[in-house]
Amino acid sequence: MAERRKFKKRYCRYCEQKVEFIDYKDLGMLKYSLSERYKIMPRRLTGNCKKHQEMVTGAIKKARQTALIPYIVDRKRVVENPFELIK
Amino acid sequence: MNHYETLFIIKPTLTEEEIKSQVERVKSIIANQNGELLATQDMGMRKLAYEIDKQNRGYYTVVYYTAPADAISELERQLRYNEEILRFMTVKYSNKKEIAQYKKMVDAVSKSSSSEDTTKKASEATEASESAE
Repeated sequence: MAERRKFKKRYCRYCEQKVEFIDYKDLGMLKYSLSERYKIMPRRLTGNCKKHQEMVTGAIKKARQTALIPYIVDRKRVVENPFELIK
Repeated sequence: MNHYETLFIIKPTLTEEEIKSQVERVKSIIANQNGELLATQDMGMRKLAYEIDKQNRGYYTVVYYTAPADAISELERQLRYNEEILRFMTVKYSNKKEIAQYKKMVDAVSKSSSSEDTTKKASEATEASESAE
């Protein structure tokens, strides 16, 4: 095989913990699927399964509406402690 | 009767008593609409992720309740008219799986809130460490 896999095998963190439901108020659950700029990470990078990716997407969008997570982080709207929520 | 959860953010400029009365007001609206309150979760004063109505902080409260479907429109109408409430969101838990999870959440909240009254500061500290993780 000429093309070797460059990255380590990804697995779904939520499947591993046997998560059945993701609550939007539980930011600890959401952090695995958020980038540093609070974007939703794609499945190809996190390795989430489709079921959990859909769950987490819904939860993140709810958390954004309720101002638990910012919609965007840019130069104008700098979060004072960007890693306060995600650690 | 459906299972609902409503989160609302109260303005930080109010005093503690005013905040309490606002929470009571929401509870009374639910009661008036034949809803049954299961649990309330006080998330306390939190920093908002972005500015809402020129406010950077807000007092978060979550109420869990069962209510008939037409109660929600009335509750949301009242919340919308209330200028002291920055933001609210109602989530409905409909299918079996979600309701099972909902009951778990209610149990967890009612357990923590009963111990919160006695050791409020301790639970706040644990909450802070939980969010830090």
